[in-house]
Amino acid sequence: MMRVQMRAQVFRSAVVCAVLLLAGCASGPGDGIYVPAGERPQAPKPPLTDGAAKPADEPQVWRKSEQPPEQKAQQQTGVPGYRESGDQMPAAAAGLVKEADTLMAQGNGAAAITRLERAQRIAPRSAAVYFKLSEAYVMTGQLGSAEQFTLKGLSLAGRDERLQRSGWLLLADIRRARGNVAGARQAESRAARL
Amino acid sequence: MKNTDKTRKPGRKKPAPRKQLAAVQSRRKGFWRILLRLALLGLFLLAGWMVYLDAQVTSRFEGRRFEVPSRVYARPLELYSGAPVSAAALEQELALAGFHKGDGSRSGSYQRSGGRFLISSRGFDFPDGKEPRRHLALSIAGDQVQNLQVVKGPDSAIVRLEPAQIGGIYPAHQEDRILVQLDKLPELLPAALMAVEDRRFYDHHGIAPLSIARAMLANVRAGGIVQGGSTLTQQLVKNFFLTREQTLLRKGNEALMSILLELHYSKSDILETYLNEVYLGQAGTRSIHGFGLASQFYFAEALEDLLPHQLALLVGMVKGPSYYNPRRHPQRATARRNLVLDQMQQAGLLGEADAQRARSLPLGVSDKASFSQNRYPAYIDLVRRHLARDYKEEDLRSEGLRVFTTLNPAMQVAAEKAVTETLARLGDKALESALVVTAKDSGEVLALVGGRDPRYAGFNRALDASRQIGSLVKPFVYLAALSQPQRYTLITPLQDTRFTLKFENGTVWQPKNYDGLERGEVPLHQALSKSYNLPVVRVGLDIGLAEVKSTLQAFGTDSAISDYPSMLLGAVAMTPVNVAQIYQGLATSGFNTPLRTIREVTEAGGEPLSRYSLQVNQVADPAAVHLLQYAMQETMQEGTGRSAYNTVPRALALAGKTGTTDDGRDAWFAGFSGDLLAVVWVGRDDNGATPLTGASGALPVWSKFMAQVPQNSFTPVLPDGVQYHWVNVQQQALTDEQCENARLMPFIIGSEPKQTITCAGALPQKIRGWFEGLFQ
Repeated sequence: MMRVQMRAQVFRSAVVCAVLLLAGCASGPGDGIYVPAGERPQAPKPPLTDGAAKPADEPQVWRKSEQPPEQKAQQQTGVPGYRESGDQMPAAAAGLVKEADTLMAQGNGAAAITRLERAQRIAPRSAAVYFKLSEAYVMTGQLGSAEQFTLKGLSLAGRDERLQRSGWLLLADIRRARGNVAGARQAESRAARL
Repeated sequence: MKNTDKTRKPGRKKPAPRKQLAAVQSRRKGFWRILLRLALLGLFLLAGWMVYLDAQVTSRFEGRRFEVPSRVYARPLELYSGAPVSAAALEQELALAGFHKGDGSRSGSYQRSGGRFLISSRGFDFPDGKEPRRHLALSIAGDQVQNLQVVKGPDSAIVRLEPAQIGGIYPAHQEDRILVQLDKLPELLPAALMAVEDRRFYDHHGIAPLSIARAMLANVRAGGIVQGGSTLTQQLVKNFFLTREQTLLRKGNEALMSILLELHYSKSDILETYLNEVYLGQAGTRSIHGFGLASQFYFAEALEDLLPHQLALLVGMVKGPSYYNPRRHPQRATARRNLVLDQMQQAGLLGEADAQRARSLPLGVSDKASFSQNRYPAYIDLVRRHLARDYKEEDLRSEGLRVFTTLNPAMQVAAEKAVTETLARLGDKALESALVVTAKDSGEVLALVGGRDPRYAGFNRALDASRQIGSLVKPFVYLAALSQPQRYTLITPLQDTRFTLKFENGTVWQPKNYDGLERGEVPLHQALSKSYNLPVVRVGLDIGLAEVKSTLQAFGTDSAISDYPSMLLGAVAMTPVNVAQIYQGLATSGFNTPLRTIREVTEAGGEPLSRYSLQVNQVADPAAVHLLQYAMQETMQEGTGRSAYNTVPRALALAGKTGTTDDGRDAWFAGFSGDLLAVVWVGRDDNGATPLTGASGALPVWSKFMAQVPQNSFTPVLPDGVQYHWVNVQQQALTDEQCENARLMPFIIGSEPKQTITCAGALPQKIRGWFEGLFQ
């Protein structure tokens, strides 16, 4: 009975996460992607069998859209960098999270995890994806994994206080459900300080 | 007997006495008796033989589970707006997955004009659901997918292309096949097969004497074998139970077994087995059996998608897959196909117009075999070792399992290119190399190279070359130190001066820097980024070897770690894959993420067998790891890794560490960007000396790889409990951002310097404190 109550608490925190997640969906992905300059990777040509005509190689043309961005300003010695928060979730990943939500609503935690792992590959630095994974693992009763994914999410929450708070509260609920009352209190007081 | 009488010579003519006559009659009777007995014996033997053959036929056919090889797939390419892929890489992926250039509207074709693609996907049964057929339109700009649109098919913001098959795990006899079911085939296929090979298939009982007679007549007329009279049942029996030798006994057995087969089994059973058994080509040592695989092999299409002219070609090839090989002998194959189309028309399977159109079409064979075996031997080797944990070898070879791996073909191409080209440039032919690439946050192994020749399926250095890691161990020593913020920060001054350790057994150890110099005091961050030896040994001895050892173990090494201080300089042997495993935790703020090569394994029919999920396990304080990551970024910008930026543009922020062992026996580089972690080893198999260092041997391979792949910069998210401060490192004090010697550095909260100084190095805080005291 105790455990059931704990689960309910975990889900309440998860709802907070879901709200945050949707808020995050509005903006696009984080940093611009690095575009390789110079050589393009060439596929190894699979062995051509006799009689098959060899297609003429396309001439190597640099299209303007494929040019690497201007890098003049950054050519000087850089300094180690950091940032205040993780990535927002691109629309594709948010779509998969939505599918996962539907699956979880139907009680299919395992299928939700496969969707969320796809979302994680697309948005590996989005705290919200890890909180969702945590929620799915709570559902399948794997609280150890759930705790770890919450911690991973928290490591990417950065200065985003709303993400931080929901992460710490989620962690507190999971810890309490696992019988770690001291750990739960610690997480709660961490959330309260925000 | 009459004849015998007639042959008697006339000269010996004598009237036969009665006695003699009786003797002849009794001899005749005896002869008939013997003959009868012989016939009975023959019948008895034949019956026995039939019983034996019957047992053969039923046992083989009853247990006719084909041994179907397991199929190994690359990860499917996911397309969505913003997906990182270059136009060239997309084209490669399409080719690997068996797409062909075309109008982009026929299933399995694509059209490219500049960065714009039209793709018509075939759909695929993934373990987590079916990906339907779709027509897609997208463009690629700045190595990202833009404006992905589903033109036809169910709409979605994200679609998966069918994955490329990258390998197979074959039965000992090397027969490859994709099983098909009769009720799921295009009806035209069995009909065409019967029209050509066995018109009376549904009427005969295994053999067709009339056909045999007709064939014999035709052969006599032509003066050679031009026609066979074998039924489909006989052909199946021949392939299934008998050798290829052409003897009368074998022919007899074939006929008997065919009759027996028909007695026991239905026509559709026999036909379905035939369709899966028939030999239709060869790819190296792998033999192509059955129409299901032949369709993939010759057209890169599913059997149910083939058009009449393609079905006709496959049916025609039954007669001689090598002689009518459409890739080698397109003219012969075309003539044979058209003959089959004629026969299909005669049998009423095709109307005149359709047959005419089909005859006018080109063969439609794909340019190349849709996949070549063993293109990625090192990677498949790792996959097989992972599979061996949960599956028996015999099941992998025969159960037709589907193995979904994490291989990223574009990364693999870039990795192979980086190794082969850099090693060729380094010159020494005895040099070998290994490269492991993983997705930083998921632990998926994306590419693997096991030697300078990536096609050679021999010694896999990425998995089996256990070599000393040298300075790659240093980040773990410093991490153990930085985890004690009250004792160590990035600016803690360390002694870069020589010292001697005397052991109880009387031996003496005197470590040296790589350049043999001593620098007095150096701050911790610089000791790591410049990879000095003397300070790291001092720090390691201060915090304790046991602490360093347990840090390494927490990050996932299973190597034996010695209890001698030389382990602080990397006297620990690890394989490149193991190094990738322990660096994963450094790249992800202290989360150990087990490396994976397999996402899922399913049965042939798609039922899931195992899933290998993403796992994370926090093994270090993210705050301490963040500090370490600062120093590893500095390594790339100012330290031993800076030459990476001769190849990689500054815009791509990286972090990493070089490693070199004595006499250049091992050159290592391990490092990461925002998305990828890569580990390179370069050295000789005989453990011989080389003139190389981590920076001159391994780093060039690493940078060449990184420079080819679209990816995000490494800009770690500030973890809880860390704050950046402007500091004067030399004075170990906070200072003003404007000061020339000010450096912005991270500190675990509470461990930042307590005093503040001016640009000139004065101590304003102390003066103010004195004044404050005066007025209190």
